[in-house]
Amino acid sequence: MVNLTIDGKEVTVSKTATIYEAACEAGVHIPVLCYAKKLLPYGACRICLVEVEQMKGRLIPSCTTPVTEGMVVTTTSDEIVKVRKTVLEFLLVNHVVDCPVCDKGGECDLQDLSYEYEVVTNRFEGEKFDLPTDEVNPLIERNMNRCVLCGKCVRVCDEIVGYGSYSFINRGFETKIATAFDRGLNCEFCGQCVSMCPVGAILPRPFKFKARPWQLKEVDSVCGYCGNGCTITLGTKDKKVETIRFNDKTGVNDGNLCIRGRFGYSYVNSDERLTKPLIRKDGELVEASWDEALAAAVEGLKQAGSAAGVISGARLTNEELFLLKNLAAAIGTDNLDNSGGECYKGVTEGLQQTLGLQASTATFPQVENCDAVLSIRSDFYETHPVFGMVVNQAVRRNNAKLSVIADKRGKFTKLPNARTLLHKPGLEVNILNAMARVLLDEGLAKTERLNGVEELKGALADYAPETVAATTGVDAEAIKVAARELAAAENAAILLAYGLPYTAASKELGIAAANLALLTGIAGRPGSGLYLCGEKSNSQGAIDLGILPGAEGMGVQQMLTAATENQLKALYVVGEDMLSSYPDRDAVEQALSKVPFLVVQDIFMSPTAQKAHVVLPAASFAEKNGTVTNAERRLQQLRSAIPSPGEARTDFAILQGLLTGFGQDAAAAPADVFGQLCAATDQYRGIDLEMIGPQGYVWGGDILTPITRNLVPVAGTQPVDAEYQLLVGSSLYHSGTVSTHAKGPQAVVAEAYIEFGREDAKALNIQEGDLVKLRTDAGEIQAKAKVDRRLPQGVLFAPYHFGALKLNKLYRGQAAIPVQVG
Amino acid sequence: MTETAQQVQEEEIDLTAANEVIDKYQDMHGALMPVLQEIQEAYGYIPEETVHLTAERLNVYASQIYGVLTFYAQFHLEPRGKYIIRVCMGTACHVKGAGRIGDTIKEQLGVGHAETTEDLLFTAEYVACIGACGMAPVIMVNDATYGSITVQKTQEVVKKYQAMG
Repeated sequence: MVNLTIDGKEVTVSKTATIYEAACEAGVHIPVLCYAKKLLPYGACRICLVEVEQMKGRLIPSCTTPVTEGMVVTTTSDEIVKVRKTVLEFLLVNHVVDCPVCDKGGECDLQDLSYEYEVVTNRFEGEKFDLPTDEVNPLIERNMNRCVLCGKCVRVCDEIVGYGSYSFINRGFETKIATAFDRGLNCEFCGQCVSMCPVGAILPRPFKFKARPWQLKEVDSVCGYCGNGCTITLGTKDKKVETIRFNDKTGVNDGNLCIRGRFGYSYVNSDERLTKPLIRKDGELVEASWDEALAAAVEGLKQAGSAAGVISGARLTNEELFLLKNLAAAIGTDNLDNSGGECYKGVTEGLQQTLGLQASTATFPQVENCDAVLSIRSDFYETHPVFGMVVNQAVRRNNAKLSVIADKRGKFTKLPNARTLLHKPGLEVNILNAMARVLLDEGLAKTERLNGVEELKGALADYAPETVAATTGVDAEAIKVAARELAAAENAAILLAYGLPYTAASKELGIAAANLALLTGIAGRPGSGLYLCGEKSNSQGAIDLGILPGAEGMGVQQMLTAATENQLKALYVVGEDMLSSYPDRDAVEQALSKVPFLVVQDIFMSPTAQKAHVVLPAASFAEKNGTVTNAERRLQQLRSAIPSPGEARTDFAILQGLLTGFGQDAAAAPADVFGQLCAATDQYRGIDLEMIGPQGYVWGGDILTPITRNLVPVAGTQPVDAEYQLLVGSSLYHSGTVSTHAKGPQAVVAEAYIEFGREDAKALNIQEGDLVKLRTDAGEIQAKAKVDRRLPQGVLFAPYHFGALKLNKLYRGQAAIPVQVG
Repeated sequence: MTETAQQVQEEEIDLTAANEVIDKYQDMHGALMPVLQEIQEAYGYIPEETVHLTAERLNVYASQIYGVLTFYAQFHLEPRGKYIIRVCMGTACHVKGAGRIGDTIKEQLGVGHAETTEDLLFTAEYVACIGACGMAPVIMVNDATYGSITVQKTQEVVKKYQAMG
């Protein structure tokens, strides 16, 4: 620690602190433009100049100067004020002062500083910038006439996002921020640059002319899309969500968001939202009162009793899931499941059999300090972009060694020095097995306290790296090095995402990853972790609360079979568009057509809802109170920001209504139910709402210690033998099917596509945008072609978010689908 | 530019020379400048495709490379002529009528400062002092210097290079 004096105040700070950080700690205000807490010190704007007694003769930039013992700092003097004012005058020489129409007005650092330093006149004259604005994309507007060249956008896109859209180009007076070849922005559209810009140079277009900052009401909630659980602060005006506000004080994401979080909110304001309950009468869905609809639902479910099924999505709050479970009990059915019933088995069965746990063992921020990271599937960045940014920081700032087991290239494989284990589709388990074998063969495995070492050794006989290399197409040496790095690292992380498009071998993958985590000692070791991350905002909560088949109950797949065989009498589907997103559309379609009574509760009239007998209009995340549990076990609170449209009700209220119909009392408010669910759920026992602070509350603590340490042999598979194989997965810009109703993601990726590698496109004579057909025995799909660099030869990709494509006619849960093109 | 358009363009440019340059520097840290310089040597300018190639192979953002390319006057993003005519516009040459020399070239070849003829034979560049004030006005064609030049002499010099092709 270092002692210094700032404006007469004695401060003790860490020796790595800068003067600016020390001043913040002492509560002394120093103005800044180019400084941002999460970025490396830069020192571009010279607004933060201070005097240091030991460094007399010149002014010192406080944001880049480290503290030293005994330093005496003065932050305000006549000279300092004069210099700061001059800096502002310089900035305002070329800056277009169009504050009346600038959306930043009211929260612009340059405006505020000019006001604070009373920069009324300017002693300098010069031409005003007259650069064209970049309005090529619909999400981010860049007006470089307002730019102060602080470089925050350049740095955040490099340091945090790792995309590198921007750079300073030209020099001297001509210097400006631009993309490569000074074109329109074409990137991930995460909008990190928007959140960092201190002036009105980079603004969110959807928010243009919507509201002045001071007119907005801000509500902190949790993003409703993926399992990352980012805090998003909703800016609302006139009962509408108008924008997402920057907030780096709350939550796990440090103010970082992806396109979905920042621009994907608009579906809550959509005109297509369901606003009234519907009941099928004479074959038509007609509007009904809530009393009627609830009565009909209760009646139908009651009659079905133990032959009823309940299927939930994983975006309901914990409180709602708890009521749903109670409702299933009230109906008298054990047939309860979520998210297609297969994809989460890596956690519920895989981790359960090996570690005795059903959750990730550590928290996201720990990954930033890892020395080695193994990502299983390059898609991890697409499913959990903001966690991906943490990995990016580990690699870029802390030189973590990243290995990616990937069936296609992606953002991760482009990170500096990333080792890509590019394999034939569907063979992840083979590679994980080979890595385990390397650890055991080379004596690197930490086998003490592990059960089943000998059995595993025996089972891995066929998984010598060379053998696996021949099957998978990965270099044997790369497998060895990746295994050694993981074993040698003091802190290491293994990442695996699961979700509806990743159902193949989910249990096996969970086990294989857990085996590796046990052999390397990653599971339960402070600083290290095994992360199995759910696709949806409350995937973990659904597991924690047991939205799973009961002892006698059927899972989703069995329910569908039972329905087809006329064994299921009623089905209650909450927050899930099964028809669009579940594997094997034909099977789902048949089941939904056959089930005599179908209740669908959703916010949109999904294809699934169109088949229902009763449709219950629900509320979006922005209209709810309650808690959700993210993929690192962090409980966070959703807060209602706007009222629901029309007569739509929260899932909580709807479930209350149904429970009442079953003669059961449901507690009045989510907060009361939270108490009940904590009492009823082992992992949550002892938690109360007060404990869920700004950073949430991680159940089980930062590190979850494995209860068992069982190595479980698990077999790999053989590669699919086909000229062309189709991979199904998530696209960075979308999440589930809901995002297809959101303007932001839709603006970038508006419809389904089939992606081809460049070699294949050339061989097949396919151009970007061509309509292409893919065929299997199960059916045919047609979409526009997208040609990219990331796919190996013979591998095609299609995102699963778009129901209209009917991709799940071909996708039945396979890791890779042999297809014919054309 | 769409991926497809990019692809079409890429097929037009032979990237072998650029790949060879990058091969040489692949494992050297911070080798962007020599890589770009040698690519320019090979192609006469920096074709856009080589920027994307360099970005991919050296793991540097294309935007960053573009930043470097626009920062230094030595890099050119457009094809340049076989002969670079530098017209000195320094003080001495200016006084001795360098403006007229520039105009002459413009009339003769149709190119002004930093422009290249369509046949890619000539690029004109107006430069500040080239350090030969004693022979003002001066032009240079590649490495050859022509001092005390007049309108007529300029025309002759240009014709000479036109004849050489």
